[in-house]
Amino acid sequence: MATDLTTDTADAMLAGGHEINKYNFVTKTKGVFRARKGLDADIVAQISEMKDEPGWMRDFRLDALKIFESKPMPNWGGRIGIDFQDIYYYLKPTEGQGRTWEDVPDEIKETFDKLGIPEAERKYLAGVKAQFESEVVYGSLEEDLAKQGVIFTDTDTAVREHSDLLREYFGQIIPATDNKFAALNSAVWSGGSFIYVPPGVKIEFPLQAYFRINAEQMGQFERTLIIVDEGAEVHYVEGCTAPMYSSESLHSAVVEIIVKKNARCRYSTIQNWANNIYNLVTKRALAYENSLMEWIDGNLGSGLTMKYPAVYMMEPGARGEILSIAFSSAGQHQDAGAKVVHCAPNTKSRIISKSISKNGGRSSYRGLCKVEDGAVGSKSSVVCDALILDSKSRSDTYPYIEVEEQDVQVEHEASVSRIGEEQLFYLMSRGLTEAEASSMIVSGFIEPLVKELPMEYAIEMNRLIELQMEGSVG
Amino acid sequence: MTSTLAHTTTGFSQEAFDAFLAARDEPAWLSDMRKSDWTRFLDLPMPSLREEEWMRTDIRLFKFDRFGLPVAPQSVPADITKGALNNGDGHTDMPRTLLADGVNLGGRVSSLDSHPRGCELAPKWADQGVLFGSLDALVAEHGQRLRPYFEQRIVDPAHDKFSALASACWCGGTLLYVPKGVCVDQPFHSFSALSAADGGGGIDLGRTLVILEEGAKATLLSETASTCESGTGLHCGCTELLVGKEARLRYVSLQNWNTKVWHFAHQRAVVGQQGKLQWTIGALGSRLAKVNQRVALTEQDAEAQVNGVMFTQGRQHLCYNTHQHHLAPHCHSDLLYKAALQDHSRSVWRGMIQVDPPAQRTNAYQRNDNLMLSHTARADSIPGLEIEADDVRCTHGSTSGRVDNSLIFYAMSRGYTRQEAIRMIVAGFFQQVFDRISIESVRDALGTAIGQRVREL
Amino acid sequence: MSAFIQAAQETDIPDPGSMLVEVDEHLIVLVHAAGHFYALDDLCTHDGGPLSDGHVDAQQATLACPRHGAQFDLKTGAAKTMPATKATTSHEVKVENGTVFVRLNSR
Repeated sequence: MATDLTTDTADAMLAGGHEINKYNFVTKTKGVFRARKGLDADIVAQISEMKDEPGWMRDFRLDALKIFESKPMPNWGGRIGIDFQDIYYYLKPTEGQGRTWEDVPDEIKETFDKLGIPEAERKYLAGVKAQFESEVVYGSLEEDLAKQGVIFTDTDTAVREHSDLLREYFGQIIPATDNKFAALNSAVWSGGSFIYVPPGVKIEFPLQAYFRINAEQMGQFERTLIIVDEGAEVHYVEGCTAPMYSSESLHSAVVEIIVKKNARCRYSTIQNWANNIYNLVTKRALAYENSLMEWIDGNLGSGLTMKYPAVYMMEPGARGEILSIAFSSAGQHQDAGAKVVHCAPNTKSRIISKSISKNGGRSSYRGLCKVEDGAVGSKSSVVCDALILDSKSRSDTYPYIEVEEQDVQVEHEASVSRIGEEQLFYLMSRGLTEAEASSMIVSGFIEPLVKELPMEYAIEMNRLIELQMEGSVG
Repeated sequence: MTSTLAHTTTGFSQEAFDAFLAARDEPAWLSDMRKSDWTRFLDLPMPSLREEEWMRTDIRLFKFDRFGLPVAPQSVPADITKGALNNGDGHTDMPRTLLADGVNLGGRVSSLDSHPRGCELAPKWADQGVLFGSLDALVAEHGQRLRPYFEQRIVDPAHDKFSALASACWCGGTLLYVPKGVCVDQPFHSFSALSAADGGGGIDLGRTLVILEEGAKATLLSETASTCESGTGLHCGCTELLVGKEARLRYVSLQNWNTKVWHFAHQRAVVGQQGKLQWTIGALGSRLAKVNQRVALTEQDAEAQVNGVMFTQGRQHLCYNTHQHHLAPHCHSDLLYKAALQDHSRSVWRGMIQVDPPAQRTNAYQRNDNLMLSHTARADSIPGLEIEADDVRCTHGSTSGRVDNSLIFYAMSRGYTRQEAIRMIVAGFFQQVFDRISIESVRDALGTAIGQRVREL
Repeated sequence: MSAFIQAAQETDIPDPGSMLVEVDEHLIVLVHAAGHFYALDDLCTHDGGPLSDGHVDAQQATLACPRHGAQFDLKTGAAKTMPATKATTSHEVKVENGTVFVRLNSR
């Protein structure tokens, strides 16, 4: 049962302070081609054919399908109740990739209007890849970047036009055998971003993308590959939103990143899927000599998220930083965290995780800090703080620390508590209501992460948290 | 006294169990419990490496068929002469104890290869109704009183194959029962030894049951040792501690087998209203140890302090899974495990703090520090929290690192040898946990034992 | 230098194929591939679990971990694919008169 809001209804809800519902709508899509429901070798082959892919990618997909079928479901984390045969794995909405705004079909423009893309385009953002129903339909690349040799396109196009470059890394960081959902993505992936930044090129503004799950029972399987060559720098921002549905929906993405010597890469995500979505994602970066990889991971939505962005520090001097926020409310389980693996000497990592559970929600931190034999002089610090706002909610911490080397410094700390009464009373004595005071304290709690986001995301995050908090008291 | 027992193990067959049972003089209810646990033991498979609890502890080289049930346990000597158990005098086949040295004990009990070797209890405690000594003998004598505690199944026999075996075939065990209001100010000592084997291995199936009734106070020091360095052996045991309302128990358990013994233990304590438990674990020996240590705070204002001191070397693999379970409000638990690792050894510490919804105003802490004394050692630390109440304060922490080179240099510049310097630094590392152990003799014994093990790096 | 210890008979292991053996209290995977024999610790360095039951690729001369697919070089034990990054220990093998011997490398 899809909700269909007219602009009037949307405005009414906005006036009532339910701005979060701005995103809960569906536009009826004509759609050009939709593969039948279900998952088998024929469908996978069909997907490859529709995308006009080279033989090696087709074989890659078919091998991955076999791997997916042979792997068991994970027996940890959240409860996953998916019927894999009851999902559409591919939908191709338009004939080709629009180059400018005018090329894009009206109804899709409507969707993007509501998401605020034209505004974003007007601001100084490099290029915007927007995904609709598994295919990238709108994108434009700043000439400036193109001249510097930066490639920012959708992964489908990259398979055709940058085959050699892509093939060197595709599936090497996260092989199809890695886990069941990586295998699924490897078989049916569609869309996602491909970014290559040549040596020494530093992109000053964030590259962005929007995703949308629209049709009922639709899965989202974007596949992103980012290659930051020596001395280069890039910040990529991923944010997404989805309407409410009564039936399951699956988002199973794979993000692979290579950060070469002296390069820097930051990947920021605000995820705000609706509660009927399973968000099961594998994200991993390999960081080489003296490079820096940063994951900023905000998990606000979905019914179940299982996501542990990882940094493998492969060469001396590599650094990894992961800031993670999980906010779970009624009917939600955020099982999120981070993984850092020290494979070389003098590597450093830092994980800061903040989680909030309210109204019966469950937030779990799950992470790994591994220091391999030979990673002499490595340092790692992990701090997990959790706020549990009421007695219906639940907070878990499952950190795994494996140290195989002597000359290292590894520290881990976690705490779970509720909002401090003293803090609350202080703010209330200053004239704030309990709700406002709680909201302010929670904003302060997540501030280390929010301040790392681009401004419009930071604003959106704070607004969303405020709205969530309003519902939690009184 | 007798000389070293020849090994009379006969495998874990049904015949062996039947013979074992037939030779025991026990109430029928206990035999029935053993029989049903034995069936469980036979039915349960060996744990698999895919299970979370066993994932880091590979026991595929452990073969049950190299061991067997002890046959025809000796009867407990009726005459006990004071001093007969002093550090092995009188029993020339028993190893030295570490914790009993110079301590004014209220009672002692010992066993060798699961056979009770004697016990003594100071009359002033016996007169106050304290029961202490061989569990085997005391359950025969006081069956009706002890039955409810057995039936409580403080340790769950169905947890895995080892808990089932321990429950079905325990022998050579220790009982401490302190009645209401009795405060025992002298510690008790329990000693289990394993002897070497040619061919087969010695087996220790000791079970420890400690019951402190309302307002009771007692201290029990429990230790294990091997008669020689090179024989293999198997310990499969269970420990159950019941701390009643307002009772105070200090329990020390020192595992000091040689480095060939396989050690599987299930341990659980239940602490009642305003009860206090101080539980200290020393883990020095064994080839491979897999220990589940659980504390349940079941009633309001219960408190538990858990101290773990571990030192591993050679190719030892020590896996300690701890659990602090808060079921009631206003309880306090505080766990500190410190491990120093040498050579190619490995420690796995997995700790969970579980706070149930009614357990508001919980204070629960957990910390694990690992000192790596070699670059080939490996420490896995997995602290965990599962919190379902909101008015709580729960924290955990874990650190792993090496001895600070500058400290070694400083000490050496003051005339200490490198080994002495490292010993001092290791002692400093353990100081924080030693400070929490309120029994001086135990602190000293552990400190000395660890100091002796530290080699030059 | 430790001695060569008898581990298995040549005919025990098909080509390609593998077998788990105990050599001097170490668990070793013996692999038979493209006419050669190899010995690796039964240990995947990624998750610490066993490698036995993994797929033997005779052409690539690798043994893959059955759980997450990391491939290890049969001769050197090197980790060739993610998610493993560290080599597992390989041991010397010789075949004499139909018997496979292993000499354990100290780790």
